[in-house]
Amino acid sequence: MTSSLTRMVARALLAPILVVALAILVKGYANVGDGFAAGVVAALGVLLQVVVFGREAVAAALPLRWAPAVALVGLGIGFAVFAVPALLGDAPLEHAPAPGVSPVHIGSLELITAVVFDVGVFLLVLGASVAIIDAIAAPGEGEQ
Amino acid sequence: MSLIAAPLLLLWPGAIVLALLDGRRRGPGALAVAILAAVFVLLAVLLAAVVARGPQELVAGGWAPDVGIRLRVDALGAVFAVLSCGVLLASLLQAVITGIHARATPSLTLFMALGLTGLFLTGDIFSFYVFFELAMICAYALTAAGGGDRRVRAAFTFAVVNLLGSFLFLIGIGALYRATGTLEMAAVAQQAATIDPNTGLLIAVTFFVAFGIKLGLFPFHFWLPSVYLAVAPHVAAMFAGALANIGTYGLLRFGGAILPAELELSSAALIAIGALSIAYGALQAIARRDTREVLAYSSIGHAGYVLIALGIGGPVGIGAAVIFSIANALNKTLLFLGSELRGRLAATAFLVGVLSVAGVPPTAGFFGKAALFDAGIDAGSITTVTLLFVGGALSFVYLFQIYQHDRWRPRAEREREMPTGAASPGQRGVALAVAAIVVLLGLWPEPLLAIGEQAAQEITATTPGRAEP
Amino acid sequence: MNPLFAIVIGVLFGCGVFLLLKPDLFRVIAGLVLVSNAANLTLMASGLTRSGQAPIAPVEGNEPVADPLVQAMTLTALVIGFAVTSVLLALCYGVYRARRSVDLDELSREEAAEAAALEADEPPLDEESEYDQQDEFDEEIVR
Repeated sequence: MTSSLTRMVARALLAPILVVALAILVKGYANVGDGFAAGVVAALGVLLQVVVFGREAVAAALPLRWAPAVALVGLGIGFAVFAVPALLGDAPLEHAPAPGVSPVHIGSLELITAVVFDVGVFLLVLGASVAIIDAIAAPGEGEQ
Repeated sequence: MSLIAAPLLLLWPGAIVLALLDGRRRGPGALAVAILAAVFVLLAVLLAAVVARGPQELVAGGWAPDVGIRLRVDALGAVFAVLSCGVLLASLLQAVITGIHARATPSLTLFMALGLTGLFLTGDIFSFYVFFELAMICAYALTAAGGGDRRVRAAFTFAVVNLLGSFLFLIGIGALYRATGTLEMAAVAQQAATIDPNTGLLIAVTFFVAFGIKLGLFPFHFWLPSVYLAVAPHVAAMFAGALANIGTYGLLRFGGAILPAELELSSAALIAIGALSIAYGALQAIARRDTREVLAYSSIGHAGYVLIALGIGGPVGIGAAVIFSIANALNKTLLFLGSELRGRLAATAFLVGVLSVAGVPPTAGFFGKAALFDAGIDAGSITTVTLLFVGGALSFVYLFQIYQHDRWRPRAEREREMPTGAASPGQRGVALAVAAIVVLLGLWPEPLLAIGEQAAQEITATTPGRAEP
Repeated sequence: MNPLFAIVIGVLFGCGVFLLLKPDLFRVIAGLVLVSNAANLTLMASGLTRSGQAPIAPVEGNEPVADPLVQAMTLTALVIGFAVTSVLLALCYGVYRARRSVDLDELSREEAAEAAALEADEPPLDEESEYDQQDEFDEEIVR
């Protein structure tokens, strides 16, 4: 149903899309980007595969059925950023390291709580979007 | 201090964990009930703290107070949080005892509790919107949960109408931010006096429409009966007892505390819309026979009373609105939970609800109505008092009609129409517990009245420039 | 800048309402998406009192900085709009799966025919587990 050209382009695009998503995720602190946008872009990559190859083929190659678990892990990470400072006696969502203290750098990436939180958001958005794509794609194929 | 964050800290992971489990089983259901019960206790402690020591505050992230998002709870927020959480607890307990058919129900209920608690405890207008949307999305999903073509269609209508209201609210928030330069409720209330009157009125109208839709007021009510009819009784109880509180709280908070000048200006319009709502709800309810349809229309009518109390305004009017909406939420929960239970004890619980709605003395409803009459007499408005009297009489008529229709007929005839068996002891127990609370508040109303008064005072005190009539 | 924003918001809102009134569930959703974007633009426009460079640290010199609060709010509102749209699409899909149609006139006709045929008994309960995924987007809220 799809031409070989579409299939080839779709296959070739998956890896770049995921790399772009990661780039958007890690750039978010010095430049434009954040976890939500990254999650949506990555989910779009998966959607492209599902549209072109069909759900069965994609499910064989990618772990689609773990998507809800990924979303919940993301939600859990977000919650941890909210709760851990509260349990340690600070205000919920307390920023660490404190303002003014120089954080640990990996290249230009700064390791701060906001990054952890954004990774949670990324996983949540990616997982939930893929779960929806999967759920909507699933029964439709057999019925039509 | 962390007493404010504690309910959220408990609900959030609880909802996540429950989303992973199959909610149709006993275990997850019981877990959800346990979490809600713990949150209920925490909120009750918080309410006690607020009553004893005044409003509590917490700034998220340890930011400076003017920068960070502020959680702030006063008597109004705390009492509504306790009330909503209690209603959700009773409804979910009933659902667990009856048996849940949708996998996501416990998790969605906890997410809804999270949204509701958050919105009653926040002191920031935008986070209010976010929590509000969280609660609403759970409501849409709960409407559709359990499947069935009719439910999905009802959920669609529900979602579309309410989303239009939410987006209007969002536009109102944008306008308010532009006009005042802040989103902190207390600061906005300070600045509100400086807003250009025309702008202020436009903003107030968007807020009114948004909360009017939530509450199911007369011109915005059309989604309400189909939703209340389509969903299971325990979900209807959640909507009528907990979700509708958003509308009441929003009107009180945004009308009473943030934009009091606009509230005063539109007082006549509010009373007129409230009167229409009461008349429409009562007349429609009298014309119906199905219990839940009657209750749905009666909810529309009772939203009108809140609006009239708000229109009267001042500490007395706002206090009356608070007291009446607490009593009303309890009544509606009781009636919806009891509506499909058979057996003598269940009928007794239902009867308590009927009497409470009608405002017969040893019930909470009596004090709700009494507060309204008090406000009407205080305002010196004969029309208001007459309207309250006629509305009360009509609600007695339609509720007694359904009581008679449901319970005073030969058993065989009833069972042909409603093939539910006799209620299990647990189901009856929940309905009776809510009924007991209604009667208890009727016998010992001091806490209710004191909280209403404190809430009204705190709300009217945030507006220094207010001219007392 | 302001009149332009006002015109765009007005046009978006108008188109949205126009689509909302169509008897087709999918168009109704599209209409709501337009209305939600009109609301988002309003939020952006409410911060137009000050404009300047992007509010991302490090800020250069003494140049004025645009209002970051409205941008944060719009971002959150966008996320909520996304979650809401996916819920609506799921609901629409549910209707389509049950009825093979998203045309409101057709659906109403069918329903009326069914109601006339008999007192419709409760349809069997089936699981709609996909709904529990969507609301979790809203946990974004904490940003």
